[in-house]
Amino acid sequence: MSQASKNMGHELASHFFRTEYGKLVAVITRYLGSSKVETAEDIVQETLLKATQHWEMKGIPENPKAWLYVTAKNMALNSLKRTNVHRDFLSKSQGNKENTSDFVISDELISDSQLRMMFACCHESIPEHSQIALILKILSGFSIAEIADAFFSNHETINKRLVRGRKQLRKVNLELLDRSLLNQRVNAVLKTIFLLFNEGYFPSIKEQAIRFDLCLEAIRLAKLLEESPLIEDKSELTALLALMYFNVSRFESRISDSGELVDLKDQDRTKWDRQSIQTGIQYLNQLSQRKLVSKYAILATISANHCVATSYDATNWNEILSLYDELLQLENSPIIVLNRSVALAEAQGAQRAIEVLEQLKQTSDIGNYYLYHFTLAELYVKTKQWTEADKAYHKSLEMAKNRRDRILLEKKIKFLVPYLPS
Amino acid sequence: MREFLLLIRSEEAPKANLSPEQMQEHIEKVGKYLKKLSEEGRMKSAQPLEMEGVMLSYKNGQIVDGPYNETKEIISGYYHLLAKDLDEAIALAKEDPRFEEGIWRVEVRPIKHVEGIN
Repeated sequence: MSQASKNMGHELASHFFRTEYGKLVAVITRYLGSSKVETAEDIVQETLLKATQHWEMKGIPENPKAWLYVTAKNMALNSLKRTNVHRDFLSKSQGNKENTSDFVISDELISDSQLRMMFACCHESIPEHSQIALILKILSGFSIAEIADAFFSNHETINKRLVRGRKQLRKVNLELLDRSLLNQRVNAVLKTIFLLFNEGYFPSIKEQAIRFDLCLEAIRLAKLLEESPLIEDKSELTALLALMYFNVSRFESRISDSGELVDLKDQDRTKWDRQSIQTGIQYLNQLSQRKLVSKYAILATISANHCVATSYDATNWNEILSLYDELLQLENSPIIVLNRSVALAEAQGAQRAIEVLEQLKQTSDIGNYYLYHFTLAELYVKTKQWTEADKAYHKSLEMAKNRRDRILLEKKIKFLVPYLPS
Repeated sequence: MREFLLLIRSEEAPKANLSPEQMQEHIEKVGKYLKKLSEEGRMKSAQPLEMEGVMLSYKNGQIVDGPYNETKEIISGYYHLLAKDLDEAIALAKEDPRFEEGIWRVEVRPIKHVEGIN
């Protein structure tokens, strides 16, 4: 048997490189210090490159993970020798010993380093956009091109966000992130994870696969928090996990074969992923025992209501409406009023919802948002006010930026034509 | 069956711009291709080459380093294959999925057998 085929039996778990990239950067940065985060990224990229070169010819080794860690560790040691910098991490754990080879990479160190890196990336000194870009680049192993694709952005913009983010990140001392600080800041991290999830959840025709991966990454990061013994109060986290699992269960059915977004009403409910729904319910059950009222918990319960309804018409709209009312008590935002209007229309009729939305425009700047006009148009269609509907769709079209949304709107406008006075 | 040497050529650090996900895809698809060649009994060996190494030549009575090519092209690995003739070797080389990445060149050369040496 030839050399090449000897090891071909081994396979890599899906996203192995991407996930290991994140773990390695976290560990190596821990080792070199956050001021050297870019060096750590380079070392890990180099490590994966080396692995690619060897494995493509020789096959995947029995323990690919160990191969990567040994290689990355050696490169990090060489980098340290070259710059002759001895970071706190070493002097703390090993005194001033010159020999750095006892740096042991354990599973605990990997989890702990990822957690610290997550909090560092979500540091208050870093702008929100940069936070998400940093997380995707450093912890999730996405390339700049992949991040740009997922955000309908370009290489230059994403790179700028990363440069800005790293500049702040370099000042964060990873060792100073102790238990109490982590617990104080956990909500900021959850917020970023939720933003990341939502970036993925509103999909595009382009790079659909990557968008779904954003959702999975958000879930993976939340689970890292869940597994950490350092986080004391996990109720918000549990609620967010429930919400993400419920939403992700509908991912498949939300996009038609031709790449268009499908309304909840028209979705094939047999395509909903039962396992994700089940997981969501388990998280939600953990929660209700603690009788917690929070944004994520309410959103999760709304999503759960959709997930368990056998059809659109069988949905418990009254329950959903009262959940939205509860949510408004916590956070009175125009977006929530807008989303609530859909439930309101189903529970109390479209005319009532139209009135609420007309009023909302007077008290907020929601009128600049394409989905406001879209929702309004849909309600006008329901009440057969065709001319009003046509006007609202056109307004929405003026504001819609995304190609997919524009296509959908043009279709809706065309559909109205026979009903309009000539 | 004749023997062929396929030299995998590219610019320096060809995969540097691939994302981790793309690198994994690369390993998986090229690995599958090489496995198939092995199973068909065509593969004598396939090895990557380390990036370090020197070019030696003889100049003014002594062995010296270099000269190096003007271009940054390097050989990053080779396959040693069996094929019926050059056409078949070329056809096999064309099946290499690495070409999808657009950064590779593969040189296909028959190995000459000289009686009494091999």
